[in-house]
Parts: sequence; C-alpha cells; structure tokens
Amino acid sequence: MKDSEVLTEAIVEMEENKAMELTKQLLENGVNPMEVFEAYQKAMVEVGKRFEKGVYFIPELVMSGNMMNTAMEIIKPYLSEKETTDQKKKLGKILIATVEGDIHDIGKNIVATLLELNGFEVRDLGVDVPIDTIVSEAKDFGADIVGLSGLLTLAFDPMKDVVAKLEEAGLRDKVKVIIGGGQMDEQVCRYVGADAYVIDAVAGINFCKQWVGAN
Amino acid sequence: MTDTKEHLSSSQKQEAFLEKWASGEGIDFPDEKSKAAYQYRAGIMKDAIQLKKTPDRAPVVPLTTFAPVMLYGYSGKQAMYDPHILGKIALDFTTEYDVDAAGIAPMIMYGPALETLDYHLYRWPGHGVKEELSYQFVEKEYMKAEDYDHLIVDPSDYWFRVWLPRTHGALAPLAELPPMYGTMELPMAGPWLCTLGAPPIQQAYKALLEAGKQCFDWISALGPYLGRIMASGYPFYAGGATKAPFDLLGDSFRGTVQLMMDLYRRPEKVIAAMERLTPLMIGTGVAGAMANNNPLVFIPLHKGADGFMSNEQFEKFYWPSLKAVMMGLIEQGCVPCCFVEGGYNERLEYLAEMPKGQSIFIFDRTDMARARKILGGKSCIGGGFPISLIVTGTVRQVEDETKRLLDTAAGDGGYILSIGCAMDEAREDTLKAFIKTGQEYGKY
Repeated sequence: MKDSEVLTEAIVEMEENKAMELTKQLLENGVNPMEVFEAYQKAMVEVGKRFEKGVYFIPELVMSGNMMNTAMEIIKPYLSEKETTDQKKKLGKILIATVEGDIHDIGKNIVATLLELNGFEVRDLGVDVPIDTIVSEAKDFGADIVGLSGLLTLAFDPMKDVVAKLEEAGLRDKVKVIIGGGQMDEQVCRYVGADAYVIDAVAGINFCKQWVGAN
Repeated sequence: MTDTKEHLSSSQKQEAFLEKWASGEGIDFPDEKSKAAYQYRAGIMKDAIQLKKTPDRAPVVPLTTFAPVMLYGYSGKQAMYDPHILGKIALDFTTEYDVDAAGIAPMIMYGPALETLDYHLYRWPGHGVKEELSYQFVEKEYMKAEDYDHLIVDPSDYWFRVWLPRTHGALAPLAELPPMYGTMELPMAGPWLCTLGAPPIQQAYKALLEAGKQCFDWISALGPYLGRIMASGYPFYAGGATKAPFDLLGDSFRGTVQLMMDLYRRPEKVIAAMERLTPLMIGTGVAGAMANNNPLVFIPLHKGADGFMSNEQFEKFYWPSLKAVMMGLIEQGCVPCCFVEGGYNERLEYLAEMPKGQSIFIFDRTDMARARKILGGKSCIGGGFPISLIVTGTVRQVEDETKRLLDTAAGDGGYILSIGCAMDEAREDTLKAFIKTGQEYGKY
C-alpha cells in the first residue's frame, strides 16, 4: 500500500494520532503536498459514503473534519503558490445562515465545515441573521446556493420571507435555496418555497454538489 | 407513599404513587364534578401508562413551552417577567383548550432571577432574543477536556466551583473558593471560611440568595394559579424532570462537537462520567416527583437519536446510563417519561428492554407504525404528530392526520396523543382541531 493510501485509511478509521504523525512524516520526507492533501480528500469522500450507508454518524463527521482542518494548517507551508491557487478553486459559492430569531448553530457549523472541506466557498453569516442581510449578502457574494438553518418552528416564516425577498430582488432563479433543521419536512419545504429540505449534513452537501454539477 | 414502601416491589411502589396522584388526594376541589374530571383525566393517563386496562380514550396531551403565551397574544418576555400573566395564561390555556394534562408554567422560569445570576446557558425574551419569542439554549464548551477527572472524582465540587462560575456570570467568583472539605477540622477550616469572606465571593453569594428570593416570590405568586388548574380538573403531565447522562454532558458541559470527538479521544472518561452522573440524575428526577406529588418524570432525549451515532455507539455510550436512570426512577415508584426528540427508528429495540407498563416514550419524528409494532404491549408510546402541520397546515389536514395517527398508533391502549415537539408557537384553529379530533376519534 502506498504511504498516501495508509494515510487515507488512518483518517477513515479515525486513527487521529497516526494520521497526524503520518501527515508530518510524509511532508518532511518530501512527498508532494498535493498528494497528501488528496489523501485527505479521498478520506472525506469515503467518510461521506459510510455516513450515507449508516455506518458513520456525527462523531466520525466531526472527527474527520477536525483532522482535515488540522492537517490543512500543516500542509499549507509546503504548497507552492500555484498549488495554493489550484486548491482554492471552488465548486461553487454557498451563503449559509441561521435565520432571524433563531440562535442555534451546531448543525449549521457542521454543515459549513463539511461544505468547505468538500470544495465549496462558504460565506457563513452566523445566527439570528435578518432577512434583508441574507438577501443583500447573497447578491454581494454571488451565491449559487443559499442555505438556511433553523431548529425552531419560528424559523419557518423568516425562511419563507427570505425566499420571497430573493424573488423580489430578481435572484430566485439564480440561486438554489436549501433549508435544514430538526423540524424540516416536505410540508415546511413547500410552505417556505425552498428547493430542498434536509435533516442531516451529508444529504445537504449532496444536494449542493448535485446543483453545481459536481456529482 | 407509606412507611412500608421499603418492602414494596418497584411496580407496587409505582402503582401506589400513580394511584395517589390519579386520586387527586390533597387537591382542594371546589366540587365533585371537578374532582371527577381530574380523576378521569389522570385515570386515562394511568391506564395508558400501565397497559393493564384499555382507557376510555387516548389522552390528548400536546406539550408546550411558549405556544399558549403566543396564542393569548402575550410576549415571551411578559410570560417570563410576570407570574400573574404566566399563571393566567396557563390556567386559561388548560381549561379553554381542554388538554388532558397541563404543563406550561414550570417550563418558563423567571427572567429577573436569571438576570440576577447573569445566566449564560440560555438567551431569553428581552435578553438576547426578541421580546415576543421563546428562550433558546446556548451550547458551548463549558467543561474543558482536561476537567473530566475532576467531574468524575467529585461532581458536586466540580459543579459548584467550576461549572456554575462558567455558566452563571454572577457566580464567577466562586471559582476562587477552595474545596469545602477543610471544614472537617478546626485548623483546616480557615482557608474556606476566610475566602468566603472576600468581597467578590460575598457578592456572588448575595446574588445567589437574591435569585432564590426572587424565585420564591415568583412561585408564591404563580402557585395559586397552578392550584386552580388542578382544582379545575387538570393533572400536570410531569412532577419532576431529569436528563440522560449523555445529554447532560453533551448539552450543558462539553458541547455536542466536543463530546462526539471525545467518543474517539477519551472514550473511557466519557463512560466513567456517565456512570458517575447516573445516580445524580435519578436523585434529581425523584426529588421533583416527590416535591410535586406527581410520579411522572420528564426526560427530554437529545443526542442519542438516529443520525447522531451508530447503534454500537448508542449501546456503549448512551443507552446504559439512560436505562439505569430510568430503572432507578422506576425503583423509587416514579414513571420515566422520555420525550424522544428527533428520530428513534434504529433504537426502538433498546427501548423495548424496559419492564412492561412502567415508562412512557413520547416520539417526535419516529415512524409511529414501527414504534407501535415494537413497543406495543410493552411501554406506553405517544406523540408523532408533526408540528409543521399545526403551524403551517389547514384544519382539514390536521383532522385527517390526527385520525391517521390514531389509527396507526393508538392500538387498544398505551398511547398518548401528542405533538412531536414542545410547542413554542401554534395556531388556534389547527391546535383546537387537533385536540377535538383526538378527543372524539381517540375513543376506544
């Protein structure tokens, strides 16, 4: 097995210490940093697959995300300018926010991290974000997708208002809208006028990839 | 409960406690009609729980937080800052909507006391959340990874000198206190007592006493309304409340993301903490039930739901301590009432391990046909009605869905009609349709 494959396997199997040591070792031994980076990307794909199969869950998503973020800091100094630019090429732009009135952010943060690690450019507006801010930021950012998060039922109306305001601003046909949170269902999705609703992170990332033609 | 309770089996203790609660003993009913109404409602709850007898109909118990407040046109802030407004809403909602068990008031708490304590664990209406809305939890890493040993060795000391100072701003000076154990001998008592005299610590204790006084005045004002609710014929759906140890650690101490990584980074510490917290959570639930003379102990379940972890992880980290808490409650005559948030389709077989007719599971997004199939005849189930229909649906949709749900889940008893979440908001037409349809169509 190639060293980079051993690294991928260590990440996938959640062997954090081994993965971190191996990352440093490979880079110090002069292995191409892009190859190390790709080992992480491959691992993330496999973790996503296992999540979809119901083998992996939140612990593995946050562990692998955490490992990759730590590794990125280790890899960065080894990358050439061109590689850094290449690495920054993104699949698409996603604006993400917890809507007005709701201050919950755990789900949103997990999704934002995973989107970044999956190659999206993410602008995260935080929690309790006013409707007009979401719409103006979507325009300013040139978002391909707007992701709206909310745990509480009081998030339904602000979500609906965002969709209406996007329409008013003439942006609705340019952006996809996805909603996520514990009480989202088909009924809420229709009420809000969103393109999709999700109740888990990986399903959300898959919709986004599909929309930008990356699947 | 009698003096002979030590000699009773857990099911006998539970029967005695439920019987006492359902009889309405100690409640000052204005007339026989109110007493009979109370006994009817508590009686169908008791029948639904115990699975010994088919009740007259499925009890209708929508759980609420701020929904009644909003329905009567008040703001969340008014409810949290004026016990008379809260009391009147609780009384009016219970009687007008005619639910089979009441519960809103204890869910709300008193805003001024939280201000006195500079409470960080929640933001509430007028205090970080808009005045008209509901309170919301602020999850953070209040407990650091390196704190596990302190928590495990001495949870109360950790709670008092580390966790309270981090979560209650006014109690921050308590972090400077030495452990109280020096009080065992005169020469060693000095450090503790001397530190207690330091001005910041004195301030912290004053804040704590002030918050206590505020809450005492609040409950003294609210109490008569709660008494009137019961006297009007409505039992409360919970006497006490507690948590699954894993949720306690994940919600209020480590935070979700940190705890989920702990499962890989320090699994043995997580398990040791769960075991240590188990008797504490039993004691908390039992104390509430005894104080309120109501055996039902509410346990909201959060982080063991489908999607949060694998069955293997659930079996290792979540279920053993939850089951131990439930069994501990049952052994003392209480009825654990788990409010199973999210989906539990993958976990139903674990819940089926509980002894027959001694627990309640109110579901949120679990497939109710499967819940009935696996838990039917074993434990009382409830819930399953989507809140989205109450908030955004039509009366017709709500009526149809209520009937469909009763057909699916009510069986020949052992079902409580409820909505899948504690409602922050609702609509009058849809909520009344839900309750009315439930009362009519839910007859056995």
